[in-house]
Amino acid sequence: MNTVASSRSSAIVKSKAARSRNNFFIYIFLTSVALLLITPILWLLITSLKRNIEYLTYPIVLFPAIPQYTNYAEVFNPIYTYLSHTLNTLFLATMFSTLTVISSSMVGYGFSRYRDVKASHSLFGFVIAMLIIPAIVTIIPTFMIFAKIHLTGKYWPWVLWGLAGSSYHIFLFRQFFLTFPKELEDAAEVDGCTPFQIYWRIFIPNSRAAIATSFILNFIYVWGDWLTPRIYLNVNNTTIGVIIGQIFKNPSGQFLTTLTISGIVIYTLPMILIFFIGQRHILKGVVTSGLAGR
Amino acid sequence: MSTAESTVSGKGTLTRSQRRRRNFYFFISPWLIGFILLTIVPLIFGFLISLTNYNGLNLFNLDFMGIKNYARAFQDPMVRFTFSRTLIWTGLNLPIWLILSLFLAILVNQKVHGIGIFRTVFYLPSIIPAVGLVWTWKVLLEKNYGLLNAMISVFRPGTAIGWLTDQAMYGVTAMAVWSGLGAGMIIFLAGMQNIPDELIEAAKIDGASTSRIFWYVILPMLTPVIFFQLILGLISALQMLTIPWLATTDGVIAVPPRGIHLYMIYIYEQIFSTQRFGYGMAILWLLIIIVFFLTYLIFRTQKSWVYSEVEG
Repeated sequence: MNTVASSRSSAIVKSKAARSRNNFFIYIFLTSVALLLITPILWLLITSLKRNIEYLTYPIVLFPAIPQYTNYAEVFNPIYTYLSHTLNTLFLATMFSTLTVISSSMVGYGFSRYRDVKASHSLFGFVIAMLIIPAIVTIIPTFMIFAKIHLTGKYWPWVLWGLAGSSYHIFLFRQFFLTFPKELEDAAEVDGCTPFQIYWRIFIPNSRAAIATSFILNFIYVWGDWLTPRIYLNVNNTTIGVIIGQIFKNPSGQFLTTLTISGIVIYTLPMILIFFIGQRHILKGVVTSGLAGR
Repeated sequence: MSTAESTVSGKGTLTRSQRRRRNFYFFISPWLIGFILLTIVPLIFGFLISLTNYNGLNLFNLDFMGIKNYARAFQDPMVRFTFSRTLIWTGLNLPIWLILSLFLAILVNQKVHGIGIFRTVFYLPSIIPAVGLVWTWKVLLEKNYGLLNAMISVFRPGTAIGWLTDQAMYGVTAMAVWSGLGAGMIIFLAGMQNIPDELIEAAKIDGASTSRIFWYVILPMLTPVIFFQLILGLISALQMLTIPWLATTDGVIAVPPRGIHLYMIYIYEQIFSTQRFGYGMAILWLLIIIVFFLTYLIFRTQKSWVYSEVEG
């Protein structure tokens, strides 16, 4: 191949050589940036395998003498309530994501397929406005109301928020449904489908990509949220994020940093797995949010 | 199609549009009800509370204070201090994050083999949830046992910089930027991939250098993306709470180091640790107004620097 190319034209070979030299530098550069960005994660993993006493040596030791894989088992010791809070979080995240997907898709359907209705445009303006208004603005006063009507310390707020749908996901579904041809709706209507049946039997089964994106993003949100459960829930039923946000202590009150770090690794792992499985969906969602409000 | 429809419906047009209206409201009803009950009502309630001395218990025994809480906010040295820290935080975070995200986007926009792997690796920090992020950096930045000070100590033995105490502004900025880079990169990348190839090819044929292409073709075409990133980044920086607070305290109610005592943290303390709901809501409303005002200001500058296809 090479000889053929060189016999044809030396200019091409030159540019090829230049390009491959160029590529080499690009790879070197990319790899160093990657290493720099990844160092905190590597250090996290290394620390999670240390004995607590190794973490507390000065000057620091880079690697554990014997990797303490038992840290990962010790995290599940019932005294830290790690497993039960993880299950709580799984339940809360699944419940909230399911509700949000159902309600947001329904509302998004309304906003995309009924654009001829006069109020549709201005009401959608409110959806967009809510993308920009910081969440904290409503979280605190809502807490005051919910505290008065005894909805705090329970999962009911998440049920209500889920049922109401979220602006961002409404936007996501609306954009998705806009791509469906009008004929699909008309044909279904001629066949005698009610409007709800058109949405539920025709649009929803054809929206796997949007549903996956929305579900994954909601799940990640609840899993990673710290502030809302910190405000609304109590120690017994809060999410694993809040529990792991505070350092683990042994019965005599000593801080167990490396054990906490192992807990953090286990807490983060599902997010990384979800990311690798649903990378395409997640990045699409991030781009949509970035270009249209978070 | 339209003729067929008009002959079929005829007089029934009105009823059809009414029917469509009813169906529309049926579909959006979950959002509409939620919007009224979970957004509008709390917003109004919060505003009314900000005019009282509500402390969580005296709901039926409130004193109406008018704008006293707001007037007090302007006298409160902590409001002034925490707000100035928030401005410094925003001024430090926003530009660093924007520039580094753009830089990473340029890197992963290179057309070389295996670039997908680098995109994934660069995005990895963004997947880590806030609590994980904070712990990751706590063990990295710890004064005595952290990796960073140990590495600096190689050159300057005995370094013990309190990255999460007296230098918390920088330590927390590093972690917040690190965590936001992935999302910023992906959004810039999408923006770059939307730039038509012909435009760049044409510039190349005209003999433009790579840096000229970047400054005169790519960057101007990216201004709409930069604009959005700027606005969203500003809003989130001004209301930043979780990361600085978790990173510098143990997550229970505690006061962070002075340097990173941000406005939102102060609001949170007023409401949840001292139960001054009325005053807390007043200073929260002040923040909302400031956020709106700054967003509006940026929107006003839009015409002068943001590329728009309609004009072109």
